[in-house]
Amino acid sequence: MISNLLKSLAVLGPSLGILMLLSACLAPASQASSPAVLTVAAAADLQFAFQEIGDLFEQETDQEVTFVFGSSGQLAQQIEDGAPFDLFASANISFVTSLAQKKLVLPESVQLYARGRIVLAVNRLSGIEATTLPDLLSPQIKHIAITNPAHAPYGAAAKEALIAAGVWEAIQPRIVYGENVRQTLQYIQNGDAEAGIISLSVADVPEITWTLIDQALHAPLDQALAVVTSSSQQDLALEFASFVNGPLGRPIMQKHGFIFPDEIVTAPVP
Amino acid sequence: MYSPFVLSLWVATWASLTALAVGTLIAWLLVKVAFRGKWIVEGLVMAPLVLPPTLLGYYLLSFLGQRGIGPWIEEVFGFRIVFSPSGAVIAAAVAALPLIVQTVQVSLAAIPPEIEEAGRLDGCAPWVMFRRIYLPLIWRGLLAGGVLGFLRALGDFGATLMVAGNIPGRTQTMTMAIYDAVQANDISRASQLAIVLTSIGFGLLFFVIRLRQNSEPG
Repeated sequence: MISNLLKSLAVLGPSLGILMLLSACLAPASQASSPAVLTVAAAADLQFAFQEIGDLFEQETDQEVTFVFGSSGQLAQQIEDGAPFDLFASANISFVTSLAQKKLVLPESVQLYARGRIVLAVNRLSGIEATTLPDLLSPQIKHIAITNPAHAPYGAAAKEALIAAGVWEAIQPRIVYGENVRQTLQYIQNGDAEAGIISLSVADVPEITWTLIDQALHAPLDQALAVVTSSSQQDLALEFASFVNGPLGRPIMQKHGFIFPDEIVTAPVP
Repeated sequence: MYSPFVLSLWVATWASLTALAVGTLIAWLLVKVAFRGKWIVEGLVMAPLVLPPTLLGYYLLSFLGQRGIGPWIEEVFGFRIVFSPSGAVIAAAVAALPLIVQTVQVSLAAIPPEIEEAGRLDGCAPWVMFRRIYLPLIWRGLLAGGVLGFLRALGDFGATLMVAGNIPGRTQTMTMAIYDAVQANDISRASQLAIVLTSIGFGLLFFVIRLRQNSEPG
C-alpha cells in the first residue's frame, strides 16, 4: 500500500514540478517586457493627476511610464510580496514608512508630495441633496459608498469623519465598500450608491456633485512616495518623483485638488 | 508592453498546454494504475474546481512568493515568478488542470480493454501502443480537454490577480482589463473586451460540444 502511494507520488510530484517549471521557463514575456518601462504603483486617488503627469513626463523625457492603480494598502502588500514596481506613491505616509522600516523601499527616498482632501459626493441624477454628513441619514439614500477603510487611507479618513460627525453607527448598514477610491467613485457615478465619500482629486466628473468635508474631522491625508528597493531603475524612479514634486508636476497636482506640504520633509525613519 | 488580448492568449495557451501535459499523466495514473489512496490524489487534482479562486491564489502566492520558494527560485533561476506573466501562467494552469484531467480521464476509461489486450499480445512496444492504439482513441478527449482548459485559463481572474497582479502591459489579462475598465467607468472599453471574450468563449465551447457529439458511437 505504501509503495503504491509512493508510486503515485512519484508521478504526481514531478508532474507538479513540470507544471511549475515549464510554465515559468516558457515565459519569454516575463523577461522581455521588464526593462525600459517605468512602473509606478500609485494610490487610486492619483488616477487622474498621475495620468496627466505621466503623459507630460513621457513627452519631456521620452520615457514610457505604466501606472498600477490600487488602494495603498493593497499596493504595499504587493510590494511585500515582490511586485516589480519602481516607485510607490501612497495615499498616506504610514504604508511608506512601514515599508521603509523593512527596507522594501529606500528610506532616504521617502518624501511627502501632496495632501489630499475628502468630499461628500452625490449622484446628480439621484435627486438627492446632501451637503453635510448628517444629510446622509436621509432614508432616501439606500447605499453610501466609501472605500474600504481596512487598506485604503481615503476610506479610513471617510470612516473617521463619519464617526466624528456622529452618524457612523446609524448609516453603517447602508455602507458599501469600494476596493479603492476609483471603484467607490464608480459606484456613485453609476448611481448604484446615491452618495458616498471620495477624494477631491477624483471628484471632478460630470455625474456627481460634491461638497468638501471639514479637514478637522479626520487625520491629515499626507501622501508620501518612495523608490522601491528591488527596482532596477531607481534613478529613473527618483526622476519621476522629482517631476511630480517639481515645477511641471505640481500645477497638475494642484489642478486636481491636492495641496502641498509647506516644505518637503524627508520622513523620519527609525 | 503587451495588450491584454495578446497577454490573455499567451497566458491561456501556455497554461493549457502545460496543464494538458501534466493532466494527461495524472489522468493516466488515475485510470490505469491501481493504488490505494487514489481518492486523495483525485481530490487534490479536483480541488481547484471547487476551492474559491482567491484561496487558490493565496496558496500559490504564499508558496511561490517571498514567504515561500520565491527567494530560492530567484537565486537559482534568476527570475521572480510572482507578478510576472509566468506567475499568471502557473495560476491559470492550476485552475485549468481539473477540467483537463476530468475530460482525458473519461476518454481513457472508454478505451475497450480488448483492443489494449490485442496490442499487448502482439507485442507492441509502449510507444507503438501509444501511437497506434491510444492516440487514435483519445485525441478527441485530449483536444476537448485542452480547449476547455484554455477557456478556463482565459477566464481566470481571482487566482491570477493574486499571483500575478494587475500590471498593464505585463500581467493585465483581458479579465483584469475588464475589471479595470469598469472601475474607471470606461464602459465602451469594457464592452469591447466583453464582446471579444464572449466570442472566444462561445466559439470554442460550441467547438468542444460538436467534438464530443462526433465522438459518440453511432
